[in-house]
Amino acid sequence: MSDKKLCAAFAIAGAFATAVALAETAKAANDQEKCFGVSLKGKNDCAAGPGTSCAGTSKTNYQGDAWKYVPKGTCTSIVTPKGKGSLEPISH
Amino acid sequence: MTTSADVDQAAFVRALLEPELPPPNELETPGGFPPERRFAVYRNNVCVGLVDALAERFPICAQLVGDEFFRAMAQCYVRERLPRTPMLFEYGDAFPAFVSEFEPARELPYLPDVARLEYAVGAAYHAADAAPLPLDFLRAFPHERLDSATAVLHPSTHVVASAYPIVSIWRRHMSDDEMTPVELDHGEEALVVRPELAIKVAALPVGGSAFVDALRNGRTFGEAMNAATAVAADFKLIDCLRELLLTGAFVALSVAH
Repeated sequence: MSDKKLCAAFAIAGAFATAVALAETAKAANDQEKCFGVSLKGKNDCAAGPGTSCAGTSKTNYQGDAWKYVPKGTCTSIVTPKGKGSLEPISH
Repeated sequence: MTTSADVDQAAFVRALLEPELPPPNELETPGGFPPERRFAVYRNNVCVGLVDALAERFPICAQLVGDEFFRAMAQCYVRERLPRTPMLFEYGDAFPAFVSEFEPARELPYLPDVARLEYAVGAAYHAADAAPLPLDFLRAFPHERLDSATAVLHPSTHVVASAYPIVSIWRRHMSDDEMTPVELDHGEEALVVRPELAIKVAALPVGGSAFVDALRNGRTFGEAMNAATAVAADFKLIDCLRELLLTGAFVALSVAH
């Protein structure tokens, strides 16, 4: 292996180790949960309802089968005009 | 409404697309209703159904141009291109290219790339499932051998490179926060992955999409690095890897023996 190749291999190894550490920190700080019934119309991260293709397709505000990512532990304390957020799909 | 078996399908499709044409000859309608009116209802339903499908597939584009504009544009697309498979989730594959040629949308030069991103999001949503490698495994992986290692990426992994900040535009429209303007002075390369059944969209550093494409084509990390630095000499590898790790894009790593 040439010196240049060896340097490149070291650079990639170092970058990967750093990136794993950064990802671990970010994951720990940014742990999220799926929260049903709190997203505004068209702002959902995903809709579980039949026929929807996913993000951004919910039809009404606070649709019970559409969810949005929120920081972990905060979902059920979110209050909307239609009631509280839920970790499970809700029908209202 | 029934049609005899020998209806010429090409003539039927032509009549479906062009309201000026009379309904297909062989059309029989019960109860003596005029076939023109019956067929017009059918023609309208086909068109509205496909326009609805496009509106669901490209919701941010629809927000960007407004419903009225979007539906008119989508109608032009439907006329030009009916679905070619019975699977509606594949419909719209040529929509971004169509938008880039659509004269009235020229004022929004980023619109075709936002459409590309939205198509990638939909394709990722319907892609096969796979379990991302856990960070613990990746931390323990022999990093010094990564240079000659190859990766299997999550089947839902897509990249979309643009001269416009498409990730910022997409995010801004997905967020509940008040809409603020997005500076259009820079490009962004979008990474789309759907691990654990949830779509993730991240912005990669410049050169990142070349890096991901190379890995996806079975190149080693070393080769992918070269592909990325050919695009951007100061390619930020750490940032790129970080986004790939956070989105769960790595499904397997293998070291050459």
